[in-house]
Amino acid sequence: MNGHVKNMHFQQLVERGATLLCFLLLVVVDSTKTVAAARNQECSNDLHRTMKLTRLVHKDTGDLIKQYKTSQGEMPELLCKASVSGIPDPNISGLEPSEKIASMYAQLQAFSPHLTRVYEQQTDLQPPKSPLLNLLNMVINQTGMLTRRINNFYHKVFPNLPLPEPAGGSTTLPPPQNVFQQKVYGCVVLTTYKKLLTNMSKNMRTLRSKVCRKAPASEFNLF
Amino acid sequence: MKLLFSSGAVVMMSSMVLQLFGLAFVASVLHAKHEFSTHLVTSPHVPVVEIGTNFTATCVIVNTVEVTADSLYWNLSESSVVPEKNYIKINESALAVTILISGEESEWLFCSCKKNSPYVSLNKSKFIHGIYLKKAYPPRRVENLSCVAEQDGKLVSGFLNCKWDAVGGQTEDVKTQYTVMVQHESGTYRSTPTLLNKTMVDLGFFPHFMHFDVWVVADNLLGTVESEHLKQDANEFVKTDPPSKVTAFPEELFPNCLLIKWEHPIEDVRIKLTYQIRYCQSGSHTWSYIPLGDTDKVITSFRLQNLQPNSAYVIQMRCRNREGNSGPWSNWSANETKTTPEDRPRSKPDLWQLSGGDHGEEVQIICKDPKHANGRITSFGLILYNKNGPLEQEIIPADQNQNSSESRVTVLKKISLADKQFVRVCVNANNSKGTSPEACLILVRSSEKTTVEKLKVWTQEGQMFVEWKRPNNTAVSEYVVEWARHGKTDWQRENKTTTRTAIKGSLEKFVRYNVSVYVIQSGRVWKLVHKEAYLEQGAPEQGPTINKSYPAYDNAHLVWDEIPLDKRRGFITNYNISYRKENEAPKSIRVAANNTSYTLTELLGNTKYEVWISASTVAGSKNSNPHSFTTLRYAPGTIEGIVVGVSLGFLFFVLMALLLCFLKKDVLKENFWPQIPNPGESTIGNWSPDYPPKEETPKENCVSGVSVLDVGVCEVKLGFEEDKTSLSLKKGKYLSEEHSSGIGGSSCMSSPRQSVSDSDEGPDLADSTASTVQYSSVVASSGYKGQTPSSHSQHSIFSRSESTQPLLDSEEHPDVSLQEGCRQVQPPPRPSLFTGAENQNSMESDDFRLLGVEQHDFCPLREDTELTTGPDSLSADTESGAVSSYMPQLGGYRPQ
Repeated sequence: MNGHVKNMHFQQLVERGATLLCFLLLVVVDSTKTVAAARNQECSNDLHRTMKLTRLVHKDTGDLIKQYKTSQGEMPELLCKASVSGIPDPNISGLEPSEKIASMYAQLQAFSPHLTRVYEQQTDLQPPKSPLLNLLNMVINQTGMLTRRINNFYHKVFPNLPLPEPAGGSTTLPPPQNVFQQKVYGCVVLTTYKKLLTNMSKNMRTLRSKVCRKAPASEFNLF
Repeated sequence: MKLLFSSGAVVMMSSMVLQLFGLAFVASVLHAKHEFSTHLVTSPHVPVVEIGTNFTATCVIVNTVEVTADSLYWNLSESSVVPEKNYIKINESALAVTILISGEESEWLFCSCKKNSPYVSLNKSKFIHGIYLKKAYPPRRVENLSCVAEQDGKLVSGFLNCKWDAVGGQTEDVKTQYTVMVQHESGTYRSTPTLLNKTMVDLGFFPHFMHFDVWVVADNLLGTVESEHLKQDANEFVKTDPPSKVTAFPEELFPNCLLIKWEHPIEDVRIKLTYQIRYCQSGSHTWSYIPLGDTDKVITSFRLQNLQPNSAYVIQMRCRNREGNSGPWSNWSANETKTTPEDRPRSKPDLWQLSGGDHGEEVQIICKDPKHANGRITSFGLILYNKNGPLEQEIIPADQNQNSSESRVTVLKKISLADKQFVRVCVNANNSKGTSPEACLILVRSSEKTTVEKLKVWTQEGQMFVEWKRPNNTAVSEYVVEWARHGKTDWQRENKTTTRTAIKGSLEKFVRYNVSVYVIQSGRVWKLVHKEAYLEQGAPEQGPTINKSYPAYDNAHLVWDEIPLDKRRGFITNYNISYRKENEAPKSIRVAANNTSYTLTELLGNTKYEVWISASTVAGSKNSNPHSFTTLRYAPGTIEGIVVGVSLGFLFFVLMALLLCFLKKDVLKENFWPQIPNPGESTIGNWSPDYPPKEETPKENCVSGVSVLDVGVCEVKLGFEEDKTSLSLKKGKYLSEEHSSGIGGSSCMSSPRQSVSDSDEGPDLADSTASTVQYSSVVASSGYKGQTPSSHSQHSIFSRSESTQPLLDSEEHPDVSLQEGCRQVQPPPRPSLFTGAENQNSMESDDFRLLGVEQHDFCPLREDTELTTGPDSLSADTESGAVSSYMPQLGGYRPQ
């Protein structure tokens, strides 16, 4: 054999290798796409359920407020719009999706003690089997679920970003109040909490295209 | 190889080390309490053993040298000794055994000693030790786990109800218990452990939109095993209530539609539902389902389409979680029934004809409502055409008593085809919304019939099928299959390619149908074949009625009525006539079904028979009421034969008697009518006591050979004729008086007074001697010629009759009787009366014998005057007689 023949064999070998490399590259890219699609699908489903749960809590909170107002006797509507110090802000802060989700999580956590306080106050004010207490208990329970779901979602979507702790530290509860103050406090807490849930719902709709790309449009056709 | 060998050796060594360690442990433990323990110690004492596995136990001898391992043995529950092949002698003081754990009941495995030394016998309890084997199946993972959270009011219940199929067995001592685990983001929930295959988990508030992980843990003493995990959204476990307030609304503009509205059973914010709708026509149980894709939206109304106008529909709905289209369906909602609005009839009425009359010239036009009547048919429009155009038009109201339906048959009109070659009938149906298309039929008076050949009718699985053969050379438009029972006719149409069909009408069992197939050719109806058939045959409802029986001597003719058609319930295959004499087994005769009479033969005469007839179908038979008859005593002709025989016999006897009489007449005559000597030939005839022989003038008128007596004979004869008359008159008297005539004076010379002395008339008669009757025969033994006893009494011998015959009246009154008798009776002229004995009349002889009078006795004397004054009729004979033969005894007779 001469060197020319050796070169031809080498050239053929290189060509075959290149073809194989291209094929492998395509396979990797395709699998990556598949993985990404599956991950996006899961993200969409999680976000979808979170949004539904948020909406459910929002609906139940609205019913709770109605029940609360009914249960408190004559109470001017304006009192529920009064400003009470110590109640968390219902607005969602942050610009990035992670910040917004973190803000949602923080706000929910902040409201949870207040809701519990209202439940405690109403326990003293309402009969034991009052539907208000049942509704309050349900909303508190749902709030806990929603909080954990957002936490999980955050860690799924942003696995490398730690969830920041609330800026203000632990939630400050109001000092002991009289019955009227308790009524006003409870109504303001519930009303504010409902606003928070409204804001969360709005923000989640904007998140769907940012956090879970290529999500099926039908999955978000909820509101 | 080396590696394998070394590993195997290691395993063996390790097991031996473990065994030794165990033994050492057991020995050390037991050694401390040897004072209270037995000399045999078993191990291991495990809480449970698994069924189906091998279990190895060891028995160690402690604190004695009385026995060795060779003296030990194992048994199960003191009953069955474990075979020695399962033993493993570890050393002189230890014996192991391996057994297969089988059976479900727990039992003991004992180690005992079989040596019979005194010590062992005395301390038997110390030489036995056992292991309690509590047996169990290993837990196995359950299958078919399903969980449901049902709707509770407006919310979903916080209790998750789960059920599953348990797998594997359980023993009484070791049960497998199950625990349902539910896990989601908020925590893990578990049910109370249960031995059943269902339980519930309390979740508090139902966690909508949370991701559930549900599984079942099965555990027992042998371990724990988990079922497959159900990982689903929480809402996929929700079973809601069915849709509420399901209501259907008919819309006048859309007669084919019904609008359905409903409400969500639960708030949409908790669970989004998909719905399923099904509907069917009222009375039908075949549901039509709306495709799920049409109702998987958030909707609360739906319009059912393509429905039949004016038809009642039943609607039901159910729902389930829409996400993933999984989860349990709710129950179906309650029936919602609504009727669609009316529409105009969309199809033709089903027009048909019934032929009548002898030659089919009477035709009845009938029709059914259109298949798609789309409302209540109120009337039918009928138009008749002939070849010249429309004949008449008529609106016939529909029968409003019947509900409008496809099966309703309306009689429209009866048409006579007698004066028409053909008639074309067109009919349309009307309802409140409009008129149907027109259906036409051409009726032809007479024509050549096209025959549908080989009609076959049979039943199968409760349906009646009809099969026929397509007629040759006939362009068939369609066929009509007609079935008729008494007073009810129905039909159905089949297309031209059909040659076999099932009758779609509702047929009744045990009813005879006349199934016919007609051919329709361009609207013309052509004749057919027909056949009778039953949907199902049964035994006759009643037996035949024995109408009459005509018993004879050795046979009987039976006549029975057929079973009425509505009672037959099938085709009669045969009759079975059973009959029997009293106290005897019945005999049976099979008779063909087309007979209604039969003659039983070989019967016994004058015997009572009981007879009954059973009519049979393929499904059974039914007996008639028993009927009795008695056969006749005599066979026909017997009596006639006897009568004829007897008559012939009598006739023969008579003939024979006559023949005998004829042949033996001489003998008979001799016996019955013996020969009487003719007095004429007697010598006494020459006797003439008073008259000389010169007075023989009358002799010329008498028979020759009779001389003097001739006169007497003639007189007797005449007197006899006269006496006959008088005899008949006085006979009774004479017979009753029974007077002996006596002999006194019976002679012409004796006084007659003495012989009739007891007569009442005696005195009168005694005055006249002339009237004295000469009743005695006087036979002179020697020439008696006259009654001159004065001169000849001593010479004459008188022979007197000894007859006791009473005197005749004429004899007693000869003067009267003779006169009357001579007047009234005219004896026929008998000129040769006394010429021979053969001329004597037998009757006269009988009469004389009856009277006891000798025929030839004396006649009474007559006066000449009397003779001359006799009847004219007699004058000729008497004159001649008197002149010629009668000689009055003027001088010869004198009173004595």
